[in-house]
Amino acid sequence: MATLITPPTAVTAPPAVGSTPAVTEPQKVDYMNLPCPIPYEEIHREALMSLKPELFEGMRFDFTKGLNQKFSLSHSVIMGPTEIPSQSPETIKIPTAHYEFGANFIDPKLMLFGRVLTDGRLNARLKCDLSENLTLKGNAQLTHEPHMSHGMVNFDYKGSDYRTQFQLGNGALFGASYIQSVSPHLSLGGEVFWAGQHRKSGIGYAARYNTDKMVATGQVASTGMVALSYVQKVSEKVSLASDFMYNYMSRDVTASFGYDYILRQCRLRGKIDSNGCVAAFLEERLNMGLNFILSAEIDHQKKDYKFGFGLTVGE
Amino acid sequence: MASLGRKNQSLSRSNQSSDSILSRVSDSSIVRKGKSAACDAAYVAKRLMKSTGKAAWIVATSFIVLGLPLIIEMDREAQLNDLELQQASLLGTTAPQPSFMGPSS
Repeated sequence: MATLITPPTAVTAPPAVGSTPAVTEPQKVDYMNLPCPIPYEEIHREALMSLKPELFEGMRFDFTKGLNQKFSLSHSVIMGPTEIPSQSPETIKIPTAHYEFGANFIDPKLMLFGRVLTDGRLNARLKCDLSENLTLKGNAQLTHEPHMSHGMVNFDYKGSDYRTQFQLGNGALFGASYIQSVSPHLSLGGEVFWAGQHRKSGIGYAARYNTDKMVATGQVASTGMVALSYVQKVSEKVSLASDFMYNYMSRDVTASFGYDYILRQCRLRGKIDSNGCVAAFLEERLNMGLNFILSAEIDHQKKDYKFGFGLTVGE
Repeated sequence: MASLGRKNQSLSRSNQSSDSILSRVSDSSIVRKGKSAACDAAYVAKRLMKSTGKAAWIVATSFIVLGLPLIIEMDREAQLNDLELQQASLLGTTAPQPSFMGPSS
């Protein structure tokens, strides 16, 4: 049975009564007034942002044009080799090129996002605030291949120090998750899902401890996945992240370490993996509204090298 | 076939004169041990060179991907800071630049 993982806690203790008035007393923990926790699916957010940038291969060009304060269109061209899954250990890459058109509508209460690709795929996302605490989110990916399209709808309810989410997907996928702030720094949560099409169900627990300088999270699921991550903010511009993933069913272990430098003119993320993979992602601001992107990934074990460059125009 | 027979005869005749110094020296046990030690040393040295070469390749390419952009960007940041410090000392304090927030992935 999955066990709860709680990272070491250092909850602020209530102050001593006879402390000197010149020293500012540490805040007494108000357990009735805890902050709202991060949504359950974003519990690894900092580690994911630092360690998993969108690495790509080939050339990428994005152009975003805002027609209005709320509405914007985007055009993008992507050219490069794409990998196709193959049984042999050799990686097979086929050069492809496509154009993607997208439209975004952003309102405080409603957000719509759509993308269409030339190979017939459509991505759509919707986020709507039905009331102050209840949010409806939906996303859909449609393809022209049969049985490869899927869609999902989420209902999120945000309480004062908890969040719950209920999920419905196609193929009889049901999921629910709950996360609660237990102290100003620690939040614990759990989730349950049932997939009718594959006749699978699972339960998982997660915990997140964060202070101003660091975030530590742990997650266990009955599908056999154990994921731990730790992000330390070394200074305002630099943070270091590490991640450990273990699958106790398939005995697969991966550890990765990375850095994230957010400087004035650029953002540089680099990571090294226990699978012998070294990757870096650089976004450099050449001018106002003009960003230059470089992506590199070297896999020493499989001898697979991927390099990409791109340009992003527009806000 | 007759020529081969004659060659064999000549070889056996030279083996019979086994008191020639060169053959005695080259058959002695010390020289044999020395030869096998040299072979082993060459083998080990070749393996070591190969694995050092592989390790050097991995370290060099990983440094190019991970370390070089970092060094370049930190250098540029230092240059920018120096420029701002110079300008600040010339004109009085200048407004701080907003920090870069790249497109969130």
